[in-house]
Amino acid sequence: MQLDVFQALSDPTRRRIVETLLDGEHQVGDVVEKARIHQSGVSRHLRILHESGFVTMRPDGQRRLYALRPEPFRELEAWLDRYRRLWESRLDRFGAALEKKQRKQSKRNKGS
Amino acid sequence: MNTENIRAASRIVIERVYRATLDDVWELWTTKEGFESWWGPEGFRAEVHSLDARVGGELRYDMIAATPEMVAEMKKMGQPPSHGVRSRFTELRHNERLVLTNVIDFLPGVQPYESTIVVDLAAVGASVRMSVTLGEMHDAQFTRMQKEGFTSQLTKLDARFGATTTK
Repeated sequence: MQLDVFQALSDPTRRRIVETLLDGEHQVGDVVEKARIHQSGVSRHLRILHESGFVTMRPDGQRRLYALRPEPFRELEAWLDRYRRLWESRLDRFGAALEKKQRKQSKRNKGS
Repeated sequence: MNTENIRAASRIVIERVYRATLDDVWELWTTKEGFESWWGPEGFRAEVHSLDARVGGELRYDMIAATPEMVAEMKKMGQPPSHGVRSRFTELRHNERLVLTNVIDFLPGVQPYESTIVVDLAAVGASVRMSVTLGEMHDAQFTRMQKEGFTSQLTKLDARFGATTTK
């Protein structure tokens, strides 16, 4: 199942795993220890994070090393950009409405 | 990842300076005519049913898709062309500060939740500096994540990716 970035991070355990990986590559054992989550849970969540593109895995001998990928975080950033733009254009309209209001007022003042 | 945006994740602040009087700016937020003249968003118009600019007073309006393209777009997303929004003025200091608390209860399958818009005004010479702080996002999933403390996470990701990635 492919989760979107929001769903992938909506789970607190997965966020803890992501947090653990913030300082770089780790193997499963490190994640278990640092995030204080049971091994079976970590494997399952790492798989989900891997499938949703948050995490890469590379084998290193017997070990499997997990690390974060920047792409989904860029996707989050793009989402925030859209939200910000909505408000930027809203405040542009606010400015335009103010100007219109002022024009009306000055006309009224001249008229009186 | 862009540092600014990640920080902004927990709280977006947008600041503008308008050549206007405090009274005029205040009116655009606290009168029916004023509010309808700009709220939008793009492709929508707002129709205010009640606006009671007192602490605890209600602001009720419909957001109505205003162009044929937007009507079609909403239809494509399975949404009606208009929806009602309920807000309250939860703080109000004339020409200085207002807080609008919105009840977001129109998202199908999502528990109603509240989001706040804080507006601070200050006269600067012949202009007004207006800062708008968006406490919680008008987005179901994002708000849910915020409630679960996701935003502090984003700040940390900032440290992880801030310096290393390029656009």
